Amino acid sequence: MKARSAKFRPDVSVLLSLLILLTFTSFSTAQQTTATLSGTVTDAAGKPAAEVKVTVKNAATGHSSDTQTDASGAYSIENLPPGDYEISASLDGTAATSKVTLTTGAPQSVNLSLAPAQNLPNAPSSSQPAPNQTSPSLSDLGFSASETQANAREQALLDKRTHMLKIHQRMGLITTIPMVASVVTSLNAGGKNEGSASRDLHVALGALTGDLYGITAYYAIRAPRIKGTETRGQIKAHKILAWIHGPGMIATPILGAMAFSQKNNGEKVHGIAQAHGPVAIITAGAFGAALLTVSVKF
Amino acid sequence: MMKKLFILFLLLPLPLFAADQTWVLKQSTLTYHVSHPLHESEGTSHSARGKGICHEGQCEFLIAVPVKTFDSGDSNRDLHMIQVTRGAEYPMVTVRTHLPESDETAAQIKADLDIEFAGQTAHYKQVPFQVSTQGTEKHITGTIPATLTDFKIQPPSLLTIPVKNDVPIRVDLTWGPQ
Repeated sequence: MKARSAKFRPDVSVLLSLLILLTFTSFSTAQQTTATLSGTVTDAAGKPAAEVKVTVKNAATGHSSDTQTDASGAYSIENLPPGDYEISASLDGTAATSKVTLTTGAPQSVNLSLAPAQNLPNAPSSSQPAPNQTSPSLSDLGFSASETQANAREQALLDKRTHMLKIHQRMGLITTIPMVASVVTSLNAGGKNEGSASRDLHVALGALTGDLYGITAYYAIRAPRIKGTETRGQIKAHKILAWIHGPGMIATPILGAMAFSQKNNGEKVHGIAQAHGPVAIITAGAFGAALLTVSVKF
Repeated sequence: MMKKLFILFLLLPLPLFAADQTWVLKQSTLTYHVSHPLHESEGTSHSARGKGICHEGQCEFLIAVPVKTFDSGDSNRDLHMIQVTRGAEYPMVTVRTHLPESDETAAQIKADLDIEFAGQTAHYKQVPFQVSTQGTEKHITGTIPATLTDFKIQPPSLLTIPVKNDVPIRVDLTWGPQ
């Protein structure tokens, strides 16, 4: 009996994969080149100070920007070039100054506490005014510059890493659905079953699994690495398991194609093609274990 | 008469934090706790530094710790923590508090804390701490009832389920005179 012609449905699985990818992928390419400074101003009694003039002066250029606090004592100044600034506020014989280094990215907050003008606190942020000589400051504690300096570039790298790994996580979860379904449909896809409908379904599910797995792997592989970070904890097991399910996801469809061809030719699956099932099971098992390593604490 | 005055002087209670004195943080353990339906996790830092200055009846303390020094045992979780708390942009957590010298031999004190973290400042009123004296050193323990919303931190999620908003921070500090 002539075998029915192979009916691959890779086009459907590819379309499905693309649809899912478009749904979950969105990269923001907008770059921020200015900084935003905000905060609150409180009076000597610790209460919000409204209608207080706040001046921000760029230490490098000398350029100043002014604003006024609102009823809740809050102020905000946007579109400031990154750099070192001196912030000052004054009201009825009281004043406050502070220094800050602005970087691009998330807004920075500096709160000011007004005190009598001859007794200005130098602390960058405090709700309890005190003379300078009795207030410890960050510079007293002996931290190195690398520990206290902001690094906007590293933050951007971390943001991109988290964004990509979130997609990796979601795609991994989605991939488990067709993977489990293809394992279930494998029961009727081979063996003594001569019909091709179940086999075609198994192939389609396998192809979809492969496409989604590829997308999942892409986001993990391409997520930025952070220099100086040693891999520790259960994430180490998660990465090691990838060396099992990764090659498995390549070998499984190759062996499956061989088995498919043999079945379509009316042959019994033989030779290396017989390994398709065991390899698929090991691959799915490693994939499931990888999922568990980042979900449950062992 | 002089002998009576001398004995009276000896009977005066020693202050918790003596006037015009500087205190230095000798040892510290700060631990945050995060809750998720699937599991609980904690991150600990032993890298805090602190200084306290007592002057005219008031003591001001400053404690600072780098965000990157918190270790949960999982490098992926730690990196995600640094990202979500903007730890590269705001690398330090600072805690300031103001204690009256009248908190002398109390076994428990209540402190108002100003905490700067993730680019935000949060105020905590009357946080209780236990105090014990070991020689010249003061051992202080307590828990700060911090939340993610206090610092406008987006709750991290695992398998699309976010962690709980409460992130209590256990504090274990040993202060000694400089």
